[in-house]
Amino acid sequence: MNQNEDPRLVLLLAVADDELIMGHRHSEWTGWAPHIEEDLAFSSIAQDEMAHARLLYGLARESGLTDRDEDAMALGRPPEEYRNAWLCERPNGDWGFTVARQYLYDTADAVRVADLTESSWRELAEIMKLIQLEEKYHADHAVAWFERLAGGPSLTARERFAEGLTAAIGEAIALFEPVPGEDRLVSDGVLPRSNADMLGEWLGHVGQELEAVSLDYVLARHGPVGEMVPTGSGEIPLEASDFQVPGVVRRDGGWIHDGGFAGAGGRRGRHSEDFLPLWEEMTALYRAHPGARW
Amino acid sequence: MIRADERERLEHDVWATLAGVHDPEIPPCSITDLGIVERVVVTDDAVEVDLLPTFAGCPALDVIREDTEAAVRASADGREVRVRVVFGPPWTSDRITAEGHVALRSYGITPPGASGGPVVIPLASLARSEGTPCPFCGSRTTVLESAFGPTLCRTTHFCRACRNPFEAFKPKTA
Repeated sequence: MNQNEDPRLVLLLAVADDELIMGHRHSEWTGWAPHIEEDLAFSSIAQDEMAHARLLYGLARESGLTDRDEDAMALGRPPEEYRNAWLCERPNGDWGFTVARQYLYDTADAVRVADLTESSWRELAEIMKLIQLEEKYHADHAVAWFERLAGGPSLTARERFAEGLTAAIGEAIALFEPVPGEDRLVSDGVLPRSNADMLGEWLGHVGQELEAVSLDYVLARHGPVGEMVPTGSGEIPLEASDFQVPGVVRRDGGWIHDGGFAGAGGRRGRHSEDFLPLWEEMTALYRAHPGARW
Repeated sequence: MIRADERERLEHDVWATLAGVHDPEIPPCSITDLGIVERVVVTDDAVEVDLLPTFAGCPALDVIREDTEAAVRASADGREVRVRVVFGPPWTSDRITAEGHVALRSYGITPPGASGGPVVIPLASLARSEGTPCPFCGSRTTVLESAFGPTLCRTTHFCRACRNPFEAFKPKTA
């Protein structure tokens, strides 16, 4: 990792790469979703997320934080330069996991986006206001499935949704892994609140919603977040081999996080075993024909 | 140096030309009806047009930009034509004009309602009787099928009164 890296670039990449990789996974439902409305929904959400990533990559270039154009940012970087959280790179699995992840991701994204509309970095705040208008529809989609699966008549559906939540919750917490240089971003007002503060707000909100449908047990029992594998050529440094996320406890009538992060996850360019295959497929055409235009 | 009155005339001509450029995904609507044109400026040597996409990921944008360039070139008096895509201020559905609303309805798409209030589209709303008005019969006894439709900017519905499926333009307001 480059010690001289501008923390503003890391922040942009954390958000943009989440959107890009989440969009890529969503796009895998195109043609395969359980029914045509969901085929269109996930295809549309994918299209939105990738467009949001493009706006942020564009801002990185306009601000002189990178020389790469939007395509090169999305498709022309080596795997270890992607800063997305692991949650986004996990395969779609079954429908229960897909909608559980979309719910956790979009509720977390809503907290982050709302904060960044208040950023002291004016251009970033403007883009975030635009993104917020479009993300509303993603959140509605997630809530609709939450209600349908968690509160619906089918116990099998509820069980599979709960399994999806259990599998995703630990890595959803890692969406709030601090970004390198975060202290400076917060003191400059670029990031209005620390990731720890945003995590607190998100957990409180999600905890309340899960409690209302008696699924809050998934919060307390989240396990380890996954196996570390090297990306690109690098070896795994010792301290990064055991990425850990905070636990979750119920205290004073609400759910809060307990403890901190240890090791390095997506925000430091470390990924799960699922990232490399995704990266290879996503960038295959671009690597075969560098600079290709669509 | 271009005279002020000539600049005004040219800009007026360009706006009139843009009113004849139609959205490829909603043919009855022009790009001015949809509020996609943010700015027109005529200088000594160029005509500049800024377009504001309805949704950031709108795939029709390249076609709209090409159509815009071709149309404006005809009324540019030999000036260079520069069409840019900009993202600020964020486009909202309030920018759709009254003519746009009529054109949308003529195409079987319910125009977005007046602004204000959150966009509520949970599936739970299927049970509510007050739905989006049907563009064909006007009934509000309609249900939301999906918040996502054939394009990013449209939702899909079904009218229980006249039994037609229909689409609505997504409300998008702060």
